[in-house]
Amino acid sequence: MQLSYFRRVAAGGAVAALAFAGVAAFTASPAYAATSKVSVVHGIPDTPVDVYVNGKKTLNNFKPGDVAGPLNLAEGEYDIALTKPGEPVGSAILKVDNAEVPGGANISLAAHLDAAGKPKITPFVNDVSKVDAGKARLIVRHTAAAPAVDVRAGGTPVFKGLTNPKEAKADVDAGTVKADVVLAGTDTVAIGPADLNLKEGTATIVYAIGSAEDKNLDVVAQTITGLHSAPGGVPSGDGGQAGTGVQTWWYALAGAGVLMLLGGGVRMATARTGRK
Amino acid sequence: MTVRNCGALAALAAGVAALTVATLVACNSQPAGNVGAEEASTLAASATPSAADADPSVPVAAGELPAGAGIVPPVRLVIPGIDVTATVNAVGINERTNEFEVPPSVDQIGWYRYGPGLEADAGSVVIAGHVDSAKQGKGAFFRLRELDQGDTLTATGSDGKAREYRVVAREEYAKTKIPLERYFARDGKPRLTLITCGGPFDAKARKYRDNIVVTAVPA
Repeated sequence: MQLSYFRRVAAGGAVAALAFAGVAAFTASPAYAATSKVSVVHGIPDTPVDVYVNGKKTLNNFKPGDVAGPLNLAEGEYDIALTKPGEPVGSAILKVDNAEVPGGANISLAAHLDAAGKPKITPFVNDVSKVDAGKARLIVRHTAAAPAVDVRAGGTPVFKGLTNPKEAKADVDAGTVKADVVLAGTDTVAIGPADLNLKEGTATIVYAIGSAEDKNLDVVAQTITGLHSAPGGVPSGDGGQAGTGVQTWWYALAGAGVLMLLGGGVRMATARTGRK
Repeated sequence: MTVRNCGALAALAAGVAALTVATLVACNSQPAGNVGAEEASTLAASATPSAADADPSVPVAAGELPAGAGIVPPVRLVIPGIDVTATVNAVGINERTNEFEVPPSVDQIGWYRYGPGLEADAGSVVIAGHVDSAKQGKGAFFRLRELDQGDTLTATGSDGKAREYRVVAREEYAKTKIPLERYFARDGKPRLTLITCGGPFDAKARKYRDNIVVTAVPA
């Protein structure tokens, strides 16, 4: 049992390592960007862990449903290991060696169950591009031991056929929506419903976690702030009563004034000359 | 005195009068001018984390769904110096233009509901109002450009609490050049930013060229 569990975990680690390589390949890293922001999301039910990065304990007794970070990690390769709380790094229950962290990215490492219920670590690159004024970004990640799902907002499917370990995302109007997760193509509610408060200028990342079989499906949420944009402008007047700067009539008046001064002066001068 | 001389004198007098009027108009049409621009930009600067705190105590939070934070919208703004007492509405973005949705009624002003509220300990609370309107005449912020450093104003929140502010800057920008990200920032020192229109008016496009921006800090 112990051995088979270890094998399972090791296999999971190999998959995660491949996924990391994928992240590195797909993330263009500008030469100047040295560090990445890395968050860790715990989505394995009933399994608190210690998290080691390069052999150094980074998180103590990290609990399911918690989100840690962001850590600022320099671009490079990292060994990440999860142990049962208090156990040495040598007896890790889940590990990824030589995980590549690209520079200048925002990454979430999700420790979760795969579709078959095996623990694994999946790195996700977070879209931290700016959202338009008035908008919020919703990202949903399927990280649960469950089949394909649809995500509904106000009863209408917004993301369809999402499978583990994929994500779906959209920029939507900021505000509160009632959301739930159903088995793909059905009305069978798997998670929720819950009120999602999508704050303007943020990304709300919702992870579906747990296991359908064990009836402990749940969600973990991570929020990234500071993605807001300013409005395009502030139009606040069309009357013209407060206009500064001079108008066309001003030039006409000033021009006429100058002409009259000149004309009058010349006439005075010629008149005087004439009288002499 | 000859008739001819009289005509010349009259022309001179008229010329002087015309130029005097023109000069007066030009003087009154000067832009309000900028004060405190540097202070305003300093307020927007946010503390950048140093590279030294790259490690350790990693923050850990429960991954709960985000709840609505206790934002306190301003509901009333009083600026004694320019006789303003105005109702503040919570407004957002005009979907069509992607611009700030200033309340259509010119005696009301709008608070940008996506930005910080009065409770915030960082960032810029933005309130914008009409300088005027072709149909309704002068707006609540008609005299905003008369505000100067040291003038005080009071913003009352939906919690009933009145908060005093002191003007530190008044700036005028062409709408094409205004650094809106700075005025709509959610970081930096807590401040109140009042915006209206100003500058030369384009009668054909029915638009002002500039925005007037007043920055105030908690008094």
